Amino acid sequence: MRTKIRYVATALGLSATLALVGCAATAPEGGSGSGSAPTSIVIDTAFTLETADPGRNYVPTGYMVSKALYETLLDFAGSDESTAVPGLASYTQNDDATVFTFTLADGRVFSDGTPVTADDVVFSLNRVKGMTESKANFLMEGIEVAKVDDKTVELSTATPSLKLPALMTNPSLAILNSKVVIENGGTTDNSDAAEKFLNGTSAGSGPYILDSLSVESQVVLTGNEKYNGAEDIDFDRVVIRNVSESATQKMNLEGGDSQVAVDLSGDQVAGLSGGVSVTSGPSAQTIFLLLNQNPEIAGVTANPEFASAVRYALDYPKLLELAGAGSEQATGVIPPSFLGALTDGVKQDLAASKAALAKSGYAGETITLEYPNDYPVGGVSFTPLAERIQSQLADAGITIALAPAPFTTQIDEYVNGREAFSIWFWGPDYADSANFLPFQAGAKVGLRAGWTAEMAPSIVELATAAETATSMEAREGAFSDFATALQKQGPFVPLIVPGSNIATADYITGVNYNSTWTMDIAELQAK
Amino acid sequence: MGKNTRATRAYPARSPLSGSPLAGYVLRRLGMSVLLLFGVTLVTFSLANLVPGNPIVAALGEGAASNPATVAAYIEKHGLDQPLPVQYLNYLVNLFQGDLGVSLRTAQPVASDLAKAVPATIEVAIGAIIVSLAVGVALGSLAAYRRGKISDQLVRVLSLIGLSIPTFWMALVSFNLFFLQLRIAPGSGRLSPILSPPPTVTGLYTVDALLAGQWTTFMDAMAHLMLPVFVLSLFTIGLLTRFVRTSVLEVLDADYIRAGRAKGLSGPRMLFGYTLRGASLPILTIVGLAFGSLLSGTVLVEAVFAWPGLGSYAYNSATSLDLPGVMGVGLVVGAIYLGINFAVDLLYGVLDPRVRLA
Repeated sequence: MRTKIRYVATALGLSATLALVGCAATAPEGGSGSGSAPTSIVIDTAFTLETADPGRNYVPTGYMVSKALYETLLDFAGSDESTAVPGLASYTQNDDATVFTFTLADGRVFSDGTPVTADDVVFSLNRVKGMTESKANFLMEGIEVAKVDDKTVELSTATPSLKLPALMTNPSLAILNSKVVIENGGTTDNSDAAEKFLNGTSAGSGPYILDSLSVESQVVLTGNEKYNGAEDIDFDRVVIRNVSESATQKMNLEGGDSQVAVDLSGDQVAGLSGGVSVTSGPSAQTIFLLLNQNPEIAGVTANPEFASAVRYALDYPKLLELAGAGSEQATGVIPPSFLGALTDGVKQDLAASKAALAKSGYAGETITLEYPNDYPVGGVSFTPLAERIQSQLADAGITIALAPAPFTTQIDEYVNGREAFSIWFWGPDYADSANFLPFQAGAKVGLRAGWTAEMAPSIVELATAAETATSMEAREGAFSDFATALQKQGPFVPLIVPGSNIATADYITGVNYNSTWTMDIAELQAK
Repeated sequence: MGKNTRATRAYPARSPLSGSPLAGYVLRRLGMSVLLLFGVTLVTFSLANLVPGNPIVAALGEGAASNPATVAAYIEKHGLDQPLPVQYLNYLVNLFQGDLGVSLRTAQPVASDLAKAVPATIEVAIGAIIVSLAVGVALGSLAAYRRGKISDQLVRVLSLIGLSIPTFWMALVSFNLFFLQLRIAPGSGRLSPILSPPPTVTGLYTVDALLAGQWTTFMDAMAHLMLPVFVLSLFTIGLLTRFVRTSVLEVLDADYIRAGRAKGLSGPRMLFGYTLRGASLPILTIVGLAFGSLLSGTVLVEAVFAWPGLGSYAYNSATSLDLPGVMGVGLVVGAIYLGINFAVDLLYGVLDPRVRLA
């Protein structure tokens, strides 16, 4: 018996020893901001990050990083994305909205102390224009850049382009220190080899400089001592961490391990404990139903009356329940923060739905609804949304079968116009209503719905009027008319504008959501 | 006849690799491994290119994918205009030069991405194996020696729980409990944000911190390992406990153990020198398999703990149709499995002379 006890004791002792070896360390001091004012901040977000080279960047986390390291000719004030304001430069335009003259602000310098000049602007914009392999290249499509003098640059387009000022706020079009970048392989064509350098060192005039970059785990920024712009930065060191699981972001924030959580869903922010503030508001994404107008693909959904039947059958407030804080019913394809967005969305009208259904030729057949089931947008998962749509349409006499698939599988079918009835989403590439013109007949998203220009020439005319307007007043009216017409006769049923919820430690202020760069890190302040 | 004598008979004294059975065996296994790796490249390339979806849209995004110039430049840069067999051949040629391609998702060389991801996972997997081995062997031995007693029943229930608990759920619960509620574990990631990673030598933060003499960083890295190791080891502990119990029970019934006991052997010498050594082959097999699965199957745990390892990389690559990334992960995981199997087979011979003779 004593022998057995010795065996047991030996075995237990061994396991305890090895377990202790494995767990010998103690947790470091966590917490945030106890004692003196914090000088560093940790931001948790699910990374979409490929590079710190702004000219090659085209993903949200990359925009957030670029916005902190570099400056653009123009900017937006806070969350207001309706009007571009001066950044590194102010601008004027001609009456035709084809020539835009930018004048650089006095005294602005890069992080090495050298002044920002027109040559830097010309090089930076022409670099993006010339690097056709850059994902950001399309932003410079149709724009010519010319130096007027050391302080002045002229951008011109062949046709009126009131979207140009908004384009010049995009962090991909940030102004780089041309001398430094050229010395490190920078060119204005695809032979450019400066990306590696820019992934290790920033060469901009922004409030921060790059300390270290790992596109898989974290980015560290430190204050730019030479910065002389308008921002009054409060944090000397910023760590942006890749935390893909939003539940972990929430716990890190509540536990004081981070001070900002970017990707919390509406439900998660509702369950946050004390010591945390949340900035909620509608994002710039629109979740919508697509009803294909190509009879060969779609069958009955190709009848415009069927789209009307679906449009009026849905109970939008009930769908909105699935979206949580900050979300709104989509009033049209243009989300509420953009020029021309409609003030009111469609309301459920079952009588109108039944009348339209009767005219559509629908004979009770089962319609397949396709959607990506692994790609929540703004915290909205498409599976419960599809299930609720299925239930609501069943009440209106339309039988739906659900066909979920992974995003990467589904998107190919969607972009090639092979889906008859599906749930998708659309977000802007830059902060301007022109981003929603692809919904017109014959354009990119329209064609995904099998909707050719010949099918709706009046919509095409409205879109053209919006695109070529030369004054902001005319432009706003044109976009509003376009959105209204699309809402009445288009093959899309806008459903939800999901919310954006940025949660911070409650001593942090200055959170302003932006549809492109999510938030401007330099605007964050400690109370 | 002692075991050394038998070993000598099995490996007669000849020049190291000329015609000795061991050398022949090692060379055969190495050759087989190379062939299998070739097979892995074929399978991963085929699967990656046969899955539905458009990698160009997935890689470039909506805006850039609408720009013909960018699409053309992308196709040319990645050789996507070539027939698939040519692409595969190019892949193999580049592979021989250590080039695994460029990730469509991170825009970085896959080899460099994996060079960062693999050590992160190896570090946590080694920790999990150490803890699993210690606890699993102890509990399994305890259960075997106490066969039929309450402690045996308790261990069997515990091992069943370890095997049954969903890892993702356990990760969230333990993070909430130990970090958020009890405050005895640090937050997510490999290091606290206030610290910078140690200079890279092995990629294992604990080892690199020690090599650099950064004691604070070492302690912090150890602290961050605690929860992932704990969660990951639960399943392996359950598995090992059951195998150790079964194996030890078989050995305890063996004649040589009875003889040893009759001659008065007892205590640790009996446990480690005879019983566990006799049960070591099945245990080694399980440990090898568990280590392989830990390296490739840590996706959810890595997601919860924001651990930038192989699991996260594999998941992100797969869900973004990053074909070079998927192929790189497949190749690395395949190579690791082959390496572990190879090592386990060799260790069989070290642990049991009868294997050497076979």
